[in-house]
Amino acid sequence: MAENLSADFVVIGSGICGALAAYKLARAGASVIMLEAGPRVTRAQLLANFRNSPRRSDWMSPYPFSPWAPHPVYKPKDNGYLVQAGPYPYPAEYIRVVGGTTWHWAAHTWRYLPNDMRMQSLYGVGVDWPCTYDELDPFYQEAEEIMGVAGSAEEHPESPRSKPFPLEPVAEPWAMRRLRERLQPEYPVVGNTVARNSRTFGGRPACCGSNNCQPICPVDAQYHGGLAVDAAEAAGVRLIPNAVVYRLEHDERDRIVAAHYFDPDKQSYRVTGKTFIVAANGIESPKLLLLSTSERFPNGIANSRDMVGRHLMDHPSTSLTFDADEEVWLGRGPQSPSSINTLRDGPFRAEFSAYRLDFTNISRVDSTTQRLLLDGVYGPEFEKRLRYSAAREMNVKTVLEVLPRPENRITLSDRKDALGIPQPQVHYAIDAYTRGGAQDAKKHFTRIAELMGGTNLRFTPDDAFANNQHICGTLSMGNDPNTSVCDRYGRAHDHENLFFIGTGVLPTAGTCNSTLAAVAVGFWTVAHILEEQAGVPSGKRAATGAGAGT
Amino acid sequence: MGWIQAVKRCVGGLMVLGLAWGGAGVVGAAPADPELIQRGEYLARVGDCVACHTAPGGPVFAGGLELPTPVGNIVATNITPSKTAGIGNYTLEQFDAAVRRGIRADGKPLYPAMPYPSYAKVTDEDIEAMYAYFMNAVEPVETRPPQTKLPFPFNIRYSMKLWNALFLDETPFQPDPSQGEEWNRGAYLVQGLTHCSTCHSPRNFLMAEDSSRDLAGGEVGPWHAPNITSDPVSGVGSWSLEEIVAYMKQGSIPKSQAAGPMAEAIDHSFQYMTDADLRAMAVYLKSVPPIAEDGVKKPVDSWGRAHADFASVRGKPWPENPDELNGPQLFDAYCAACHQASGQGTFDRQMPALYQNTATGRLQTNNLVMVILEGIHRVSQGYEVRMPGFAHELSDQQIATLSNYLMQAYGNPDGQTSAEQVANLRQGGPVSSSNLILLARAGMVVGLLVVLALVVWLVRRRRS
Amino acid sequence: MDSKDRSSTSLDHPLSRRQLLVGFLSAYTASLIPWAWAQEVPNEGQAAFMALSAIIAGRQTLNPELAKRIYEALDRSEQDFAARTQQLVALIEEQKIDPLQLQAILDKQYPQLAPIPRKLATAWFLGVVEVDGQAQAIAYEEALNAVFVADVLKPPSYCYGAYGSWAEPPIPNPNTQSEV
Repeated sequence: MAENLSADFVVIGSGICGALAAYKLARAGASVIMLEAGPRVTRAQLLANFRNSPRRSDWMSPYPFSPWAPHPVYKPKDNGYLVQAGPYPYPAEYIRVVGGTTWHWAAHTWRYLPNDMRMQSLYGVGVDWPCTYDELDPFYQEAEEIMGVAGSAEEHPESPRSKPFPLEPVAEPWAMRRLRERLQPEYPVVGNTVARNSRTFGGRPACCGSNNCQPICPVDAQYHGGLAVDAAEAAGVRLIPNAVVYRLEHDERDRIVAAHYFDPDKQSYRVTGKTFIVAANGIESPKLLLLSTSERFPNGIANSRDMVGRHLMDHPSTSLTFDADEEVWLGRGPQSPSSINTLRDGPFRAEFSAYRLDFTNISRVDSTTQRLLLDGVYGPEFEKRLRYSAAREMNVKTVLEVLPRPENRITLSDRKDALGIPQPQVHYAIDAYTRGGAQDAKKHFTRIAELMGGTNLRFTPDDAFANNQHICGTLSMGNDPNTSVCDRYGRAHDHENLFFIGTGVLPTAGTCNSTLAAVAVGFWTVAHILEEQAGVPSGKRAATGAGAGT
Repeated sequence: MGWIQAVKRCVGGLMVLGLAWGGAGVVGAAPADPELIQRGEYLARVGDCVACHTAPGGPVFAGGLELPTPVGNIVATNITPSKTAGIGNYTLEQFDAAVRRGIRADGKPLYPAMPYPSYAKVTDEDIEAMYAYFMNAVEPVETRPPQTKLPFPFNIRYSMKLWNALFLDETPFQPDPSQGEEWNRGAYLVQGLTHCSTCHSPRNFLMAEDSSRDLAGGEVGPWHAPNITSDPVSGVGSWSLEEIVAYMKQGSIPKSQAAGPMAEAIDHSFQYMTDADLRAMAVYLKSVPPIAEDGVKKPVDSWGRAHADFASVRGKPWPENPDELNGPQLFDAYCAACHQASGQGTFDRQMPALYQNTATGRLQTNNLVMVILEGIHRVSQGYEVRMPGFAHELSDQQIATLSNYLMQAYGNPDGQTSAEQVANLRQGGPVSSSNLILLARAGMVVGLLVVLALVVWLVRRRRS
Repeated sequence: MDSKDRSSTSLDHPLSRRQLLVGFLSAYTASLIPWAWAQEVPNEGQAAFMALSAIIAGRQTLNPELAKRIYEALDRSEQDFAARTQQLVALIEEQKIDPLQLQAILDKQYPQLAPIPRKLATAWFLGVVEVDGQAQAIAYEEALNAVFVADVLKPPSYCYGAYGSWAEPPIPNPNTQSEV
């Protein structure tokens, strides 16, 4: 083909992390090609798909499924894309479209706690990060300013910051206010830090409370990867959608020289570049590396020490549903507004998992309807019970920490997708450490229900953990190449010009959603690449960061 | 941008004037009475000087905003009290001549992009107050915007004298003794500083305002400035005084929301006016001789009702070609989230109903199309209104389909929109959005063009 | 019935087109839906459908336009839908079945009728019907689960109001819930 498929940077994956990295590189004057396996989507089409969906509570249902770029689908039945090797199921959800999975998310944008990054030194479990919280602070700030993060520094002393939140906290829904008032002083209920507009920001309107953050905000009041792609393209990034990268090619000096991709008709293309960034999420990124075998790297690119895909982490959840003794009517305002943050750190972390307690504000109407239909409740009683539950039902869940364990991992299965590419396989377990946190949370669940005058308490069963789709750890950064995939700047230990950006590089999971940290670490990686390429001696690099470095 | 944010910063305190404008700089002239200065500041707001004399994001009153006209750009001047770049050397008399008669300090005429035909009505006392304000309380900015350079013969500013002789009435406002004080105050404001007629009056073939059809509606670039005479069907005769005041103050009442140039006028000017002044304007407007428009069957705010066409949408797949989306589908995907499924607006009416709303009641659909293209962004009375624009998301055909559906479902079904109309408005949109009122004033320059053509024709005829 | 027959019916026997729903029902069922006295229906199948819909929905008024869509979809996708619905209505009458017990009784004793109320309930409460083996959304905003709470909640994806409006306490008022 005649067109020139070559650029200074080749970014694989157009999710929020890849697209914002591409945006930064293009703004710095570099040429960037961004390859995305899935198709373009529009907010309007997704919104129409949602309202026309026969499974509105299945948040994946509005998103198009592309046979050439498959993703896991579980409803109405499991499509078997993510092969489960056990012992515990890991039904990860993600979306392969331009803009990636943050098209639907609760827009939680937490910073890690500084102690989350020093788990081994402080508590003797997990690992320490190869960089410090203070070093990341300016990059966190930059990410927050682009994404429009709203929050109150006063409510969130647990993650110190040198500059204020870009936006004021989002207005508290009535139901959350009642929780806050009735749980104090035992439990401080605070507003979540979220990439959701509390006023016009970035040309996007303030939240209007449609309670549809997932699967799709109808007005773009929350930041998402689609907006990051818009910014990247406006900055000059060349996006190629429907480009399924299946192999990275290296030269004799182990430098990556090309990415090979299939179009939907399995026509192959070769994209060359000077620097490669893999940003295709915590499952697809390791899958690509494992696929890219050569004589010199028989186990795949960046995998000379068999570390790629290991240390898979997420945030399992247990929960309690109860009926409050007053009408709070969940479903007014954003879906996930408030939590309790006091159990996210403490000496107990040597023994069992820390956790955040998260209150939902998702309307109970759909779930109650499903339940009443299942129970065969007809006649006037249906309306009565629906209104009762819609008004009073509340839910609190844990967001539990998972430790990085090498045996929890992504590998290649022997199944192949429509293009003949091996599908990913997951090995996952929930260990005693995480289960310990879940057990510990039960007494708080009970007490919270009690303070709300709760009746009809429904705990999730002891062995039932819901997944939160915060796929991290599979490309961990670290100083020791024997236990990590990339260095502190996200550079592959094995390849000088290959970098990883995304949740996969996060070495610990902490107790908070992983996107903001991944974007921030991505900016730290980009800053490092640009400084290095501009010839700034590596000793000066810390200048852009606030801390002294390790 | 910068100015919007500046407005936002100071809307919190009603009439806390001067905060955003720097205030402190006292330049040259003798210290003036603080009350006089404050009054002058208020009057400068009423006259909306900032709208033209501040470039987007630029320093306040430092000029630089460019007005595109058919014969070249007219650049708004620096009116800060800088002695080198602004009007710091102007005497009161020179200031007066510029504001009320369109004559610069060097004696040359201003282009009538400056609404001096309206400002001519301002009283001596108010001119003095504004002078005191500009000289004493405006921060001098030492940058001079580029000079206006029009090609021959328009660069001969004296040619404006002819236009002035034809159309400028230099008499200041004369109170009507048969009317009350409130009416007279309203007439003074409407005819003078607020220069309503600049947009709301139709223009004659020389692009001067048609005084026989005062306030009967005009065109502002791609926007239509509606009839605001007292006609109960075509104008605002059926509006209560309270509704008119609330509209000017907040830019939004259930049956009408300001957009485009009117939103700018409210953001920059009207929202800062006292309730008494707004009420006086409303009293006067309701007395302006009614002018009925042809073809208007009932008041623009009286059309339509709640309506939803779910049968055309639910369970129906989208067509392959997005231009073939039907009206209900476009409404579902782009409008209904805010305006609600039946177009009824939200519980709190902050997102307005689409029926019984002036937005869908007019035969002329330009404003509806412009709002779909550009959205609305307004900061009034401490809260912000933003309707996103869809210029980048919707095609001309889609907007035409949507607009026709909205008019049919919620408004005046006689108001039609074509894809060609959308295409034209789309092209006029981005240029105009920086400052729409200014564009209206450009009409006067077109008038000048016609006058000159006439003169040339006359001279040639005599010679021959 | 071909088109000729239909037109002759409407011309020659106009009264037959204006039968009231109550005429198809017996006392017990009619007592569950008093409005049947005012409701016109074209035939016995639709009469049974309307009666069963009203019994399941527990509502005295149902959206006729949506009723039409649901009937057409179920009639197309369910074998002998009209006949089974009539059977079911007769059974309810005969045994004076409380709507709350209906599904359990059918599941246990009349499995061939058991899918009917479930499908009807799913259509009315959730707006979902199965057509040709595929679940399909037939209603969202008009589905009864949205209508039943419309005085306080908007169907998700519809803005609640201006920014921050959700911070106010909810004010339930079931009389205003018809506003979709």
